[in-house]
Amino acid sequence: MIVLVASMQNPGGLAEQLQRLKEGLHFMLPEIGIVITIILLVVYDLLFQKNKSVGLAAILFSALSFLLVFQVLSFLPEANALPLFEGLVTHSAGANLFKIGFLLSLLVALLMAVTSRKDSLHYFDSSEVLVCLLGVLLGAFLLVMSSNLLMIYVAVELVSICSYLLTGLGKGKKKSEAAIKYLLYGAAASAVMLYGMSWLYGLTGSIDLNSDSFKIGLDYAVVVPLNIAVFMVLCGLLFKLGSFPLHVWAPDVYRATPLPTVAVFSVVPKLAALLVLLRLVAATSATHFDWQTWLGILSIGGMVVGNFSALWQDNAKRMLAYSSIAHAAFLLAGVSIMNRTGLEATVFYALAYLLMNLAAFYLIQMVENKVGSTSYEQLKGMGKKIPYVSVLLLIVMVALTGLPPTVGFNAKLYLFSAVYDEFGRSESTILLWVLLVGLLNTVVSLFYYIKIPYLLFFKEGEGNVAPGAYTIRALIPGTLLVLSVLLLFFRSDWFVDLLNSINFVL
Amino acid sequence: MEHILSYIVFIPLVGALVVLLTPKAYQHLYKVLAIGFTGLSLLLTLYAVHMFDGGLVPQISGEANLQLVEKVEWFRLSLGSLGTFSVDYLLAADGLNISMLLLASIVLFIGAIVCWKIKEKQKAYFGLYLLLSTSVLGCFVALDFFLFYLFFEFMLLPMYFLVGLWGGPRREYAAIKFFIYTLVGSILILIVMIGLYNSVYDPVKTAELAGINGTELSIEEVQALVAEGRIEEGQLVKSFNMLYMANPANYIPGSLLERSGLSTLFGEPIRWMAFLAIFIGFAIKLPSFPFHTWLPDAHVEAPTPISVVLAGVLLKVGGYGLIRTAFAMFPDAAYHYAWLIGFLGMFSIIYGAMNALAQKDLKKLIAFSSVSHMGFVLLGLAAMTSEGISGAIYQMFSHGLISSMLFLIAGVLYDRTHNRTIEHYGGLAHQMPYYTVFVGIAFFASLGLPGFSGFIAELFVFIGAFKSSAVIGAIPAWMAIVSTLGLVLAAGYYLWTFQKMFLGKFWVKEKNWLPALKDLTIREYMVLVPLVVLIIAFGIYPGLLLNLINTGVESFVGHLTEWSK
Repeated sequence: MIVLVASMQNPGGLAEQLQRLKEGLHFMLPEIGIVITIILLVVYDLLFQKNKSVGLAAILFSALSFLLVFQVLSFLPEANALPLFEGLVTHSAGANLFKIGFLLSLLVALLMAVTSRKDSLHYFDSSEVLVCLLGVLLGAFLLVMSSNLLMIYVAVELVSICSYLLTGLGKGKKKSEAAIKYLLYGAAASAVMLYGMSWLYGLTGSIDLNSDSFKIGLDYAVVVPLNIAVFMVLCGLLFKLGSFPLHVWAPDVYRATPLPTVAVFSVVPKLAALLVLLRLVAATSATHFDWQTWLGILSIGGMVVGNFSALWQDNAKRMLAYSSIAHAAFLLAGVSIMNRTGLEATVFYALAYLLMNLAAFYLIQMVENKVGSTSYEQLKGMGKKIPYVSVLLLIVMVALTGLPPTVGFNAKLYLFSAVYDEFGRSESTILLWVLLVGLLNTVVSLFYYIKIPYLLFFKEGEGNVAPGAYTIRALIPGTLLVLSVLLLFFRSDWFVDLLNSINFVL
Repeated sequence: MEHILSYIVFIPLVGALVVLLTPKAYQHLYKVLAIGFTGLSLLLTLYAVHMFDGGLVPQISGEANLQLVEKVEWFRLSLGSLGTFSVDYLLAADGLNISMLLLASIVLFIGAIVCWKIKEKQKAYFGLYLLLSTSVLGCFVALDFFLFYLFFEFMLLPMYFLVGLWGGPRREYAAIKFFIYTLVGSILILIVMIGLYNSVYDPVKTAELAGINGTELSIEEVQALVAEGRIEEGQLVKSFNMLYMANPANYIPGSLLERSGLSTLFGEPIRWMAFLAIFIGFAIKLPSFPFHTWLPDAHVEAPTPISVVLAGVLLKVGGYGLIRTAFAMFPDAAYHYAWLIGFLGMFSIIYGAMNALAQKDLKKLIAFSSVSHMGFVLLGLAAMTSEGISGAIYQMFSHGLISSMLFLIAGVLYDRTHNRTIEHYGGLAHQMPYYTVFVGIAFFASLGLPGFSGFIAELFVFIGAFKSSAVIGAIPAWMAIVSTLGLVLAAGYYLWTFQKMFLGKFWVKEKNWLPALKDLTIREYMVLVPLVVLIIAFGIYPGLLLNLINTGVESFVGHLTEWSK
């Protein structure tokens, strides 16, 4: 089918096609790099029996750092989008920006894994977990590049299957329960999405979102089936986005999984799905599907459900899980604006969220290393015992709430400004409600974010901390993340200028 | 001294860093550092006030005749269809904020001296105190809304910790209540800020960007060009400048908050809704009835120096914010809702005073008297006459000094017996005669006896409110008349309290308090005497303050009258 569609678009001989494929490979170097790393890890795991962890870590860290440097150096904001492999994937500056974010997330997560206590999951004992993490990364890389329904589906499945494995690996009843829940929900969501895609193909005769036949097909499609089809695809993406109402899997999975994996889950698939959603919205914005109303309603629901559920948690990890549902809702609010300003504000929010969330998880991991758990009971009174990390954590919580002087404030300010601006143009009621509910939810979120510093500093606790001070090496990544959260408040123009120059062809 | 305002604002921040870097072994130095840095800031403020020319008439809706200006572009963004907007680092003084800056510096310095009682976690305490000082001082001199909002929000966190960690038994509840209430207010202000900067452009920077500066266009000419639609929206530089926001000529034609805009929200013009939002935002901070309930809790639980700073300066941020933003930017809406503001002011005066009558705890009594006195600020503002506005600013200044003194006095007693219940004391005048003298002065100053600064302030407010209906027609005269009841009630609760606690036969509830009940110490004299001197000085020579604020107030009233209809 793909060849069929492709050959219809780009007629030409086999030799020409092969030539184009060969040229395309040049732009897939990061993905090829990930695959090679996976193979290296598996081979190393099979060949060596003793002291594997050092070798595995060495391979992984050098590969990821190399990829990060490569990705940053080859990053050209102004570069035009380039369809590769007969339109299956699109090489674009926007996708590359997200890839840099994903690599950063994985690196931070693995640094967390290195510092984590020995009794938690052994990340570097064998290659399975690492390979799954790289699988998520590869899937996310492909997902942000795909502009073709089939490719979207394959990439989503790659991310999902690796995520199920990551949740299930290891022992414990909680883990199995979470993994099964995740798998069942995921399978259902994928099936619905695939079904929706098949309808879209049936209606338009094309699976390439950017192709002319897809656009023309949409113009002539019957309204009701088209709306149903788009809605079904939306469901699959909402699941990956961890957004209301398809978020119920998230808290259980977060609780059952060790922090480094959760850090990856909370950022990488979410942002990848976000970019695809933006692409889907752009491709179908001219249809009768009322994106603004639907996304607005989902966003309001997500903010309310995420925030109010987070209030009742007694564990920092679960609290962050619900807070990530609320943040996903803010991202949806950004998508619902449906113009270039909204797009930039959403991407800004997404990348600010990436930084803040990574910082939060990194620091919570450091606390867990000392305290042994992330439950609120254990956090009590730790401010005195680990003052430096506690102060950093305070700054991150302020950032997640969205107060100055942190990048969280700019993210909220730009997002709300964009919503307001669009409201001023269209006077659409749903945007007004998104604006009001969003702002009020900032107040609600203060309750649970401030609870962490409250427990750390205000409460007296009997909990013991593991002896020994933090090593400087462990403190540096956390400090850098927090500094970047602060710096991007004072110089958010750097970031916005970068976004302005990026050619976000979707 | 080109950057004197920056020095004043950021010297406490430097102090916070120094405290943070000083090892714990030298923790006895922390309080010296705090006094030193706030003292230096106060000296510079005095110098700034000395340099301030009270005769220059500032322009409320533009940058003409601003003094001690520091203006640097902080950043400039272009966000898609939002267009370009720029944020300035703009600090300046005019008749509306110079008095508040002076008050803040004085009270923060006195507060730092009172901190000697703090024994626990000194590093964190003094670091946070100095951080709070920077954000409060910054709030009064920042004339860019983004910068103002930064300082405004940044007050919350240090305050939350200062109340929550060093406060009384219910400190955690009081701290979170304070945080939530004020955050709700900030969010309301944020909505309006977003609306304002999306509606207002910077004529100077727009001229630069549009490339018409070569022909040297004046601000008026640029405004005319924009009004005629001859500059495209994409070429406008949107602005956070609070002074530009006050000028209706700087609103982009067709924007939501434009003066002649027809947009409505819930059936009311959107400008009026915006005014209500920003009014409530600052009324929570002020606080005014019915948003005042966080104040008694916060005051009762806060340690003495924090109570002093809270009553002395933080509340004034609310009043100042109303003047600088709500009234200056929405004079038409302010005029429309003047009756509501005046009524809330009047109601706060009476309601606060009645509550004060019923209190058993000395600190709670003072807290409710604060609500009552802040009502005068609202009443004076709502009058929209020059006497009323002068009175409101004078009241803020005077209440800053008097309430600081009242909380110090309550602190003196609490330090000795750890009990503030009014009924547990009687005839203290026999045991602590000098203390009684100071309490008497503070009480009489607060109830508005002539000769003290409070009298001048309240007199101005009453004259302003009474004349309002004849001059501008903002509020009816009966509001002024009813409000005078507040004075009677104030006399009631202060005199009763004074009589119960200090007059008659000496008696205290617990015998073991007796040895602790000594008269004032040298340190206590050191903070109380200067306050008494200031309160009396501003009471018998009002020119001291009026000369600073007069031209500002005149210009402000002119602005209100011009645009209110």
